[in-house]
Amino acid sequence: MRAARSGPGLEEGRDQGLDELLGRVARGDQHAFEAVYDRLAGPAYGLIRNVVRDPAQSEEVTQEALLEVWRAASRFDPARGSAATWVMTIAHRRAVDRVRSAAAAAEREHRSAQPLAADDEVAETAVANLDAERVRRCLGGLTELQRESITLAYYGGYTYPEVAGLLHTALGTVKTRIRDGLIRLRDCMGVSW
Amino acid sequence: MRLRRHDLHTLTGVYALDAVDGTERDLFEHHLRRCRPCGNEVRGLAETATELAMAAALPPPPRVKERVLAATAVTRQLPPAVDRPGRIQRWMPRRAGRPAVRPSWTPRLAAAVAVVSLAVAVVLGAVGLRARQALDSARAQDQAIAAVLAAPDARIMSRATTDGGTATVVVSRAEGKVVFTTAGLPRLPASKVYELWLMGPPKIRRAGLLPAPAAGRTAPVLASGLAAGDSVGVTVEPAGGTSRPTTAPIVVMALRA
Repeated sequence: MRAARSGPGLEEGRDQGLDELLGRVARGDQHAFEAVYDRLAGPAYGLIRNVVRDPAQSEEVTQEALLEVWRAASRFDPARGSAATWVMTIAHRRAVDRVRSAAAAAEREHRSAQPLAADDEVAETAVANLDAERVRRCLGGLTELQRESITLAYYGGYTYPEVAGLLHTALGTVKTRIRDGLIRLRDCMGVSW
Repeated sequence: MRLRRHDLHTLTGVYALDAVDGTERDLFEHHLRRCRPCGNEVRGLAETATELAMAAALPPPPRVKERVLAATAVTRQLPPAVDRPGRIQRWMPRRAGRPAVRPSWTPRLAAAVAVVSLAVAVVLGAVGLRARQALDSARAQDQAIAAVLAAPDARIMSRATTDGGTATVVVSRAEGKVVFTTAGLPRLPASKVYELWLMGPPKIRRAGLLPAPAAGRTAPVLASGLAAGDSVGVTVEPAGGTSRPTTAPIVVMALRA
């Protein structure tokens, strides 16, 4: 992420490092891949767990997603987004493909929109994570409908028509609330693109 | 059934969250290729979504790392995508199970055209003279469709059909055109065809026949000559089509802005 943060410019340096690492991954550098793994497997797994829920399936999906990062690293284009976003997009997509497949339909009712943060494991990680604090604060600044819609769509892996159904809200309303809410989050978090 | 009607531009948020599917997603991606502000907004919102992922980080069990690293040792990597004019600029990776080269609703004919109208120039260099005429007409069609999708006033709406499918239409009043596509329509016997109509208060005009569905979707059909107050509708008609509808429409969508 090209994010202007409150801390000393460490984050940005870290992320530029990721872009460069992915370039090395594209050339078959397994050490570089391991470094990418160490930085992004946690966020990828956390995101996938939120969407997929089942731990065993989440592990599988995480493996698929990270192997995809290895396979497709040459397709990453830093001009179009950060390395972290490229990887998270793959992770989210894989998770969503898993839960939206017909076979998973029966499992859907077991998923819920609450981010796993209530989980002890997650909470522990999150406490140590200042970024998470900032995100929580910014989420707190949204309207309830914005926050719920964004959370259901991203952490829940629901399509926006599904979100509209879950919230008994008009489709167009959900669509614009998600956009408005994301714009507010973007500005609150100082993400600049 | 719920009617969807909205501006293509405002799909940036749900697209950045990967919360839009199917035809609507395909159409938005088409739109995105021409709409630079949309692309910039999607980028910023996608980076924002990444912050949400970062905040939910959870260490995977160590065996995941072992397996992934072991797999990389035996997995061949993809070569870089060769940059050339007309290459599809894609914000999101493709969904699993989709064809790698073209939006899934693009006509089969256009598979030869390698997706985008701009790419045709490149393709033309590689195909024989014989194929060029077919390609030219496909390109013209593709460009006309792309023009509607990219129109600043383009609006999209979807509606369920009475036989369990979904019809989606993109309307540009400025262009006076609509692009119409469907998903999940039942396959018809060879003696029947889906026929598209522009239905105005004064009269009903033919707007073309829907091609046979491929992979559950019908390729987009472009209809011109849109008039104020028109609705679009589809009926099932004898093969070859008719000059006026003879059956009850399976879907009608009013195009009021």
